[in-house]
Amino acid sequence: MSIAVRDRTAHQSGRGQRRPGERPRRPRRAARIWLVVLASLLALGTAIPFLAVFVLALSPEGARTIPYQFPDRWTLDNIVSVLSAQSFLRWTFNSLVYSLVSVVLVLITAAMAGYAFAKKRFPGRDALFWSFLATLMVPAQATLIPMFVLVSNLDGIDTFWGLIVPTLANSQSVFLMRQFIRGLPDELFEAAKVDGASEWRIFWQIVLPLTKPILATLGIFVFLWHWNDFLWPLIIAQTDEMRTLTVGLASLNSESVSDARLMAAAAVTVIPCLVIFAVLQRYIVNSVASSGIKG
Amino acid sequence: MTSISARKRPPATRRRWANTNGMWAGILFVLPMLVLFVVFRFVPSFGAIGMSFTDYRLNGDFEVIGFENYSRLVSDPIFRNALVTTLIYAAFYVPLIVVVSMFTAVVLDKLVWGVGFFRGALFLPYVTSFVLAGVIWYWIYSADGLVNGLLQRWGIEAIPFLSGNQWQVLGSLSVVSVWRGFGYSMLILLAGLKTIPTELTEAAKLDGANAVQRFFRVTLPLLRPVVFFVVVIETIAAFQVFDTIYVMTGGGPARASYSLVYALYDEGFKFFDFGYAATIGVAIFALVFVISVIQRRFLDRDET
Repeated sequence: MSIAVRDRTAHQSGRGQRRPGERPRRPRRAARIWLVVLASLLALGTAIPFLAVFVLALSPEGARTIPYQFPDRWTLDNIVSVLSAQSFLRWTFNSLVYSLVSVVLVLITAAMAGYAFAKKRFPGRDALFWSFLATLMVPAQATLIPMFVLVSNLDGIDTFWGLIVPTLANSQSVFLMRQFIRGLPDELFEAAKVDGASEWRIFWQIVLPLTKPILATLGIFVFLWHWNDFLWPLIIAQTDEMRTLTVGLASLNSESVSDARLMAAAAVTVIPCLVIFAVLQRYIVNSVASSGIKG
Repeated sequence: MTSISARKRPPATRRRWANTNGMWAGILFVLPMLVLFVVFRFVPSFGAIGMSFTDYRLNGDFEVIGFENYSRLVSDPIFRNALVTTLIYAAFYVPLIVVVSMFTAVVLDKLVWGVGFFRGALFLPYVTSFVLAGVIWYWIYSADGLVNGLLQRWGIEAIPFLSGNQWQVLGSLSVVSVWRGFGYSMLILLAGLKTIPTELTEAAKLDGANAVQRFFRVTLPLLRPVVFFVVVIETIAAFQVFDTIYVMTGGGPARASYSLVYALYDEGFKFFDFGYAATIGVAIFALVFVISVIQRRFLDRDET
């Protein structure tokens, strides 16, 4: 996972993608149409592989699917048979557990750490924060072997905790939370304290509700990182039972499964990502542009 | 925002959080993340260096063997091949992704309507996995797949995308990664383009500069820091390539696509030579580190 952090947080630019007064000049009509055509061609080029997946997935098994000749009849057989395969359901379940549990745990631990780094004072705070950030420099692959040895010594191979817990230490999420919480006024927390709220209560009833925008952004990205993650699940899940969808899909690819079946599996795997993206498109795109989150 | 909150903070003598209550709360709140970082980031980072001096095997037995792994690394033809493979891959991938994301960013920047739609449509592959991209493109590239199917129909000879020589295979693989990933760099560049004042390009236009001149003489120099940022992160990404290769070629044919991370994976999980695999990991870290330092130096010198 390569990583990019820039010293800004998502909410700052918020919805401000079209600033007032920007681009007063209108290009000539011909140029405008030409640009739209160009953009459409680029978008089509990007979309063709996706379209190919769905055409193939919906084609009857065994039909010689020549791509530029649409199948004369469509079928859901491939999708149904993929969905009814025992392993596939199990992989989907594993991917969901891996992604959703990670999201919840990252959000809570990162918000706690971000709150402490932003609003609390304790010895070594800044040194600790920078040492967290320094781990951005170390690519995940460089520590893969010791991580595996560590998890295997703790009997974490082929377990959910072995899959999830080592991926939670994430400097990007701590960084984003700290930047966001720094922007919240101190008075809020002081007032709550004067009212006699415990630290724990301040965290649950003030910090978490106020950080909803950044929690949502981070949640989406943590979900996508884990849903799409490959190398770590590949080495931790050693039985078919513990595979995630990406690892399962890679194993289907190396077996002699027909193209139609394989693409049906691919289609089912990609649908959650497409749905998330369709619903939260604006949000995801703005977060990347303003905070530079990279998975 | 950072500067505002810094200004608002009361002077040192009146710090509200300087009491012990706040201090202990702070420590307790960092604690869960601190434990995770110590156990799963700091320990493995130093562990990788430690293991690289041993012959650690799967069963946990090991002996300290000094620099033996490193001398093996330097003379290992497979490692050297993996290094060359990764460099060729990066030489395809980095320029291609920078040009494609730059081009699309400029087109989107100039669009008057439909910006939101096109931005989303072009970014779409980024939310999918490299494994999925690999599975799809494996079929697109195959002998009776999308591209070769079309070529055959037009009577053109099929292209051996994944079975040809090293340049063909690495070029084909880099196209897959560019397809999957260019949306991210595109958004970063697009955000950069938005910060360039239109007055400057307007002035250049009045001076008679055409669109190409305006781009290379005005826009690109102003955008240089953003472009460098993109080059740095994409170079680092190129050195970490694994998923697509694993799915599409398995490192082949004849190690033509055997990248550094693939070598690490094989040494660790095929030959169970953990000590040597950890050494390759340290080498990958060193390479990525050196590359980002060199690129950052470049950036600094250009700015002064």
